[in-house]
Amino acid sequence: VAMELWGYRAMGGSCLRPFSCELGPLSRPDGSAAFLQGDTSVLAALYGPAEAKGNRELPERAALEVLLRPKTGLPGVGERSREQLLRRTCEAVVLGRLHPRCAVSVVLQVVADGGSLLSCCLNAACMGLLDAGLPLASLFCGVTCALHPDGSLILDPTTRQEQEARAVLTFAIDSAEKKVLMASTKGACSMEEMQQCIAAAQSAADTIFQFYRDSIRRRYSKS
Amino acid sequence: MTAAAAGRDSGSSIAAEESGAEPQAPPYRAATATRKRTPRRCREWPLAGELALRCRHPLAAGARHHRRHAAGKGFRSVTRWRHLQGGSGAAMAEAFKTVEPLEYYRRFLKENCRPDGRELGEFRTTTVNIGSITTADGSALVKFGNTTVICGVKAELATPTEDSANKGYIVPNVELPSLCSPRFRSGPPGEEAQAASQFIADVIENSQIIAKEDLCIANGKLVWVLYCDIICMDYDGNLLDASAFALLAALKNVQLPSVTINEETGLSEVNFKQKNPLMIRKHPVATSFAIFDDTLLIVDPNAEEEDLATGTVTVVTDEEDRLCSVHKPGGSPLTGAKLQDCITRAITRQREVKKLIDKVINSIKPK
Amino acid sequence: MAARGGVAVEERVGQVVLPGDVLVVPAHPDEDGERLRLGAPPAPHTRLLCGPGLRRCDAGLLVTKCGLLRHRQAAGGAYWVDSQQKRYVPIKGDHAIGIVTAKAGDVFKLDVGGSEQASLSYLAFEGATKRNRPNVQVGDLIYGQFVVANKDMEPEMVCVDSSGRSSGMGIIGQDGFLFKVSLGLIRKLLAPKSEIIQELSQLYPFEMVLGMNGRIWVKARTVQQTLIIVNILEACEYMTAEQRKQAFAKLSGN
Repeated sequence: VAMELWGYRAMGGSCLRPFSCELGPLSRPDGSAAFLQGDTSVLAALYGPAEAKGNRELPERAALEVLLRPKTGLPGVGERSREQLLRRTCEAVVLGRLHPRCAVSVVLQVVADGGSLLSCCLNAACMGLLDAGLPLASLFCGVTCALHPDGSLILDPTTRQEQEARAVLTFAIDSAEKKVLMASTKGACSMEEMQQCIAAAQSAADTIFQFYRDSIRRRYSKS
Repeated sequence: MTAAAAGRDSGSSIAAEESGAEPQAPPYRAATATRKRTPRRCREWPLAGELALRCRHPLAAGARHHRRHAAGKGFRSVTRWRHLQGGSGAAMAEAFKTVEPLEYYRRFLKENCRPDGRELGEFRTTTVNIGSITTADGSALVKFGNTTVICGVKAELATPTEDSANKGYIVPNVELPSLCSPRFRSGPPGEEAQAASQFIADVIENSQIIAKEDLCIANGKLVWVLYCDIICMDYDGNLLDASAFALLAALKNVQLPSVTINEETGLSEVNFKQKNPLMIRKHPVATSFAIFDDTLLIVDPNAEEEDLATGTVTVVTDEEDRLCSVHKPGGSPLTGAKLQDCITRAITRQREVKKLIDKVINSIKPK
Repeated sequence: MAARGGVAVEERVGQVVLPGDVLVVPAHPDEDGERLRLGAPPAPHTRLLCGPGLRRCDAGLLVTKCGLLRHRQAAGGAYWVDSQQKRYVPIKGDHAIGIVTAKAGDVFKLDVGGSEQASLSYLAFEGATKRNRPNVQVGDLIYGQFVVANKDMEPEMVCVDSSGRSSGMGIIGQDGFLFKVSLGLIRKLLAPKSEIIQELSQLYPFEMVLGMNGRIWVKARTVQQTLIIVNILEACEYMTAEQRKQAFAKLSGN
């Protein structure tokens, strides 16, 4: 159920790298997705709604857990902080009240990091949630913007572009009203620049949501 | 400590400092003296009057909704309702808060105030006390209402790596010990502590609060490492703002002894008699907001508000109004315009905090 | 894009919908039309049913699961989303296959693949009394029906219908083979006049139990025949109708 897409163009001449997504590559989890953005690749596995273990049980909603595994080595403080960002983003769209006292775990394995890793994790997590069939209020997508020292804006930057950039901003945009669900920034920028990045991310989100739709369509055309 | 006393007595809390002086006081900074009295009135009227109607027959047909919520918290709260039927307004309000905490808050927010008496855009009294730890090279204790955070900076000597020969290190660490709140357990740091450490590290990196080159003593041979340990002593929400503030104040307080390298022996000689302050290049200040019911923004949330909120945003700005960090870990979605709102408020807050720090620093300078 | 504007629900039937899509339900064509025909009896009050994967919202119906939008024209109409899922969530009235994991006093605990184990009273078998207990051991397979299944309570199963008859439910025989498929495939197999089942039944005789929780139990005359069926059904998940017909042709040929 792989699906590819090349050279989607977005605002200001800057374009997203080629996207590709495979739904359900793993057989054991309740939902899984492999998401590729250029050279960045993340594999998401989803379990749930399952029985909550011990004190993780919440009386009126599902307990969500996100585990981010780096490509090599053990997860550190950076991963933990990203897990928190990802978990709270997922919590905002998952209708957890429909499954009280249950646990949902999202396991994200970084396969390759070629830049814009956080946005790729967000996209993989969302496709995983879709594949598992958890009730969602809306979708979300991740978009990373890099501000180059010369003032230009690069969408979905590579590792190299991220290193050269003055600031790197990652947003999660929701599909219902194109609002900002999550924001995380690196480096300093002005207010205007940030607004410019949000606008670029919102217009790129349209492209990504269309890609989501096409991927899902491809999958359901088989049955 | 004289520093501590001076810091406190000269009214280093924003509230004391500003109550009359600031003519263009922003909407969320109110003249504290008058505001302090309003809460009591607020607390009485929405609850005792209006709510009493709803509370009178909690187990009657219309109260099924309440009961369902109460069931989750154990039967005690349901039975307590019975005792309270004829009880005083305050006790009833307390019970209402236990059973329907969110609805309780909504009633206050509708009236543009919060249960602790603040307006939606009002910060808690902020107090800073520097040089609190005599054994550290720099330290500060910051209080936002009940939230208490202490930061100690310890400087050590180290040799730099080859590829960054002229750069020192800053190693921040946020600790949430079990003493600060029942929600934390002792043992290895949990997710929140690790996420906070990462946030502080990001703020240092993004804002360039200190140029790492300033920490170099001898190129390729000797640099300073600043261990910044931030420990929360009382957790009542808004940890990130308090931690960032404590870090900034502690760094401003750092006095490093001068170090020279003996040409003949190649060994370093530390002169404790001669101390120099650190060069603080930027003053990044964090401002957190909690989002209520997807639309309402309240500033400086306490622990209760953080739990009930549908999301939080933290904006870090410096004196040049640059954004050093916009940290929104999920939660309710916001429009660009709402974020802009947050940033504008954060900029005003940065000015206040900067003024406060300057005042405290000046107060302990030897005359 | 379809996500925000809200598309009329009929336009989307049979198409893929995604969470966050808003489907607009047409207003009942009464108001004006009714006023003209004053003497006419009022139209029977019809109710629109909102099935799995849909929720009501201000603008109409909000999609919460991805899949194909389906519609049934009966009593006001029903819309639902047919999604492919692996994890089962118990629903009242569903028939499912459970594995006995424990005997706890008067009830058995069954693993049905949901988030919580289902309970089954020892009296909920045909002809069971306090004296005459059914012989159920840990590890047995039970085919039963959910009588209690909601998000707040432990699911409960029974092996009798409302008149006290087993009607096919109860302990499933000792041998045979149990395996798991996706919930979408199960629904396809259980659909009236399912093509796959009809094609399978032409091969050779076999027994089969289908649980809505994605579990299938199969038993044919020989182990080999059983495994052939298992393999076919597992492959059905990834085959188009065309590919499947070819596979069956090959099988019935030899």
